Amino acid sequence: MRSNREPFEFRATFSELDEGLDILHRSVEGLRKATGRGPDDMPLILFETALGEIGGNVLTHGRPPGTERPVDYALHFEGGVVEASLTDSGAPVHEHLGREMPTHESEAGRGLAMARSLLDELGYERDGGVNRWRLVKRL
Amino acid sequence: MALDVQTRQADNGVTVVAPTGRLDVAGAPALKDAISEAVKNGPQRVVIDMEGVSFVDSTGLGSVIAVLKQLRSSQGELRLAAPNQQVRVVLELTTLDRVFPYYATVEEALTGF
Repeated sequence: MRSNREPFEFRATFSELDEGLDILHRSVEGLRKATGRGPDDMPLILFETALGEIGGNVLTHGRPPGTERPVDYALHFEGGVVEASLTDSGAPVHEHLGREMPTHESEAGRGLAMARSLLDELGYERDGGVNRWRLVKRL
Repeated sequence: MALDVQTRQADNGVTVVAPTGRLDVAGAPALKDAISEAVKNGPQRVVIDMEGVSFVDSTGLGSVIAVLKQLRSSQGELRLAAPNQQVRVVLELTTLDRVFPYYATVEEALTGF
């Protein structure tokens, strides 16, 4: 049975691609269980898809060579709303934020457009030397 | 979780490629490599059996587009079989369901291919 009453919290730091992606998906699995949702729960599928896009970008572009700072990740669910935050020390990405869905032939460049359309809110800010991402969706 | 990719030849000569795991930015290269190897000297008709794929991201999808372009450049073709709900959502969101015909089962994808 679904439960939107109990808050759910998950925090992690990671540096490697495989490790980071595993942790992101594991956190959503934890939320799925905590809220009594099944594997076909559509709002959570859409959120996980957006999280995979932003998380994949952060882990591939947000950790330039020589970076020691790991990616900070937090997932919070309360009152029916899930919010994830990711912080990385990569280059600023303002110029990519408005990117539209590319043509069918394109092999890349869909991630941000997908995440925007899957979430209620996709926030980005450059804060000093870090990128802060905020993903919000009502489940 | 690394993407594991198995390939086999169906009775009608079509190559069936079966990835297991997440087809994402970490797993996409394994799928591209496996299909390139499988069609190097064989038929250019491929079915990707998606039943074992738990999750796809835009980079994973990009690898499927790359394979499709490679196959079509040599008069080949690609079909997807048994995508789960998350994969279907991503195909529809990106309107790539108009580019990749997908089938409920591998058997259906192989029929008339």
